[in-house]
Amino acid sequence: MDQRKAMILCVDDEENPLVLRKLVLQKAGYEVLTARSAKEALELTASRPVDLVLSDHLMPGMNGTELAQEIKAAHPNLPVILISGVNELPVGSAHANAFVSKIEGPDALCKEVALVLNLPLETCGDC
Amino acid sequence: MVDDQPGKLLSYEAILGPLREKLLKANSGREALEYLLKTDIAVVLMDVSMPDIDGFQLADMIREHPRFQQTAIIFISAVHLSDVDRLKGYERGAVDYISVPVIPELLRAKVSVFAELYRKTQQLEKLNRELEQRVADRTEELRESESQFRSLANSIPQLAWMTHPDGTIFWYNQRWYDYTGTTFEEVKGWGWKVMHHPDHLDEVIRKFQRCLTRGEPWEDTFPLRGKDGNYRWFLSRALPIRDVNGKIVRWFGTNTDITDRKQAEEALVKSERLAAMGRLAGIIAHEINNPLEAISNAFYLLRDHPSLDEEARYYSKLAEDELARVAHITKQTLSFYRESQQAIAVSLSDVLDNVIELQSRTLHMNSIALEKRFQTQGKIQGYPGELKQVFLNIIGNAIQAMPNGGRLRIRLRESAAGSGRRGVRVSVCDTGMGIRSEHAKRLFEPFFSTKEAKGTGLGLWISKGIIQKYEGTIRFRSLKSAGHNATCFSVFIPTAAATEPTEIAALVA
Repeated sequence: MDQRKAMILCVDDEENPLVLRKLVLQKAGYEVLTARSAKEALELTASRPVDLVLSDHLMPGMNGTELAQEIKAAHPNLPVILISGVNELPVGSAHANAFVSKIEGPDALCKEVALVLNLPLETCGDC
Repeated sequence: MVDDQPGKLLSYEAILGPLREKLLKANSGREALEYLLKTDIAVVLMDVSMPDIDGFQLADMIREHPRFQQTAIIFISAVHLSDVDRLKGYERGAVDYISVPVIPELLRAKVSVFAELYRKTQQLEKLNRELEQRVADRTEELRESESQFRSLANSIPQLAWMTHPDGTIFWYNQRWYDYTGTTFEEVKGWGWKVMHHPDHLDEVIRKFQRCLTRGEPWEDTFPLRGKDGNYRWFLSRALPIRDVNGKIVRWFGTNTDITDRKQAEEALVKSERLAAMGRLAGIIAHEINNPLEAISNAFYLLRDHPSLDEEARYYSKLAEDELARVAHITKQTLSFYRESQQAIAVSLSDVLDNVIELQSRTLHMNSIALEKRFQTQGKIQGYPGELKQVFLNIIGNAIQAMPNGGRLRIRLRESAAGSGRRGVRVSVCDTGMGIRSEHAKRLFEPFFSTKEAKGTGLGLWISKGIIQKYEGTIRFRSLKSAGHNATCFSVFIPTAAATEPTEIAALVA
């Protein structure tokens, strides 16, 4: 990994959770882009350099696993992490690289992101 | 017609011809007797004065035979005083006489009357015989139908009984006696009241009497006490039996044991309610998780924000700690009700810790001292939800057995089954009230509960089913001695697959 900050695309249909997740990741030292829908996320991955997509699972329209499938079709090497309030793996979650539960909290989320980005855990800010 | 003079016989024949009856001629008493024995004779017409056997002698001989006691006899005689006296001797039976000279019309009339009488008697006898046969047939039919009814009434699984129109019972089937352990003397009439639960009796009698008065079919559901002293639930019905005029002659009633059905229904309702609760809890937990993540993230960002002074950081820390508790609860709720699709690596120590945590309040409130001895993590392949259900049941039972406090020891260790198969053993011991020996055999039966209304009687049965799925065993021992009771449940779950020997063989090879 070069010294450039990794760029994470956060996807969630809800405003507050999306903003707060973005702030946590920024604090952990990442650049963050946000999208309010899977459609918007696909547009962004097509036009901007993104290192990782962190998407909510349950969203109106295309859901998280469907988004992961679309992204993998276009960018096979772009990692996707799904985040959900449900405690079990949703159907089709295999398309994503990892799955985190919302209740695990910010530390667990940062660890998972660092793991998927293949970064040494120490680089993960306050984790 | 008996006469020693053929001429007379011919003249009688001529006189009686118009009657169109069958006429037989005998020249002597002896010949007459031969006819009588061979043929059914309606009337004997005989001359009193005959050589050899005279008329009176012949009449005596006829009467001596039981078959001919009613046979009509008409004597033909010149009237002598002595004859009239002798005729009086035949008061019984059909006897008449005609004096000579014979008046044809009179003879015809008398013979005709006797012949008619004979025919009528024959018909009556025939009718009588038929009636007797019918009575015999019906009696046999009744006896047969009665015996069929009894064997039917005793073979049905229901208790059955019959009452008089006023509701007093005069008959019970064998099942009633088998179930209640009573005798007819104890329960006849309204004696059955003693088998009823006092809470239900008044209502049962009120409903039953209303149906008796109105002549309407009766149906009710209530508990009846068995000979073991336990009540079971019965669905009871009675129908009025009416005669041809529609008058009620008796009532026929049955009691059907619906305890199992009732309990199964209740258990089903309960499990459906639990499932619905589970779904609801899942939905709520999920809905809570979304804002919860946002709040957690907000406090995470706030945690060491430079603008916070020490006091504000302290408040923020408290809030974050309490949020962690909320997160823990929703996590528990979700994982409790949702079962993973396939067997995963489960640590029994985690499962047991989880159950202990759920019961920690009860343990504390009931002053139960917990002694935990985990010598292994107890890793197995399985489904955490159902394993949790098993130990929640066993540990819950142990706690419920100690309402006034006691000691609970939970051990987890590596072990081997009698067969030498390796595995993990969990033992749960309590110092509660112990298990009564008469309950011990039935403990794993479905619907068997010692907790009265509080238990479904399904817990241990389900637990056993789950453990058997793991090819494991579940056993218990209850020791009772003066002042010291100990009940231990031991669950063994094999860790090594049954195919292990072949795997070892493969490795060796």
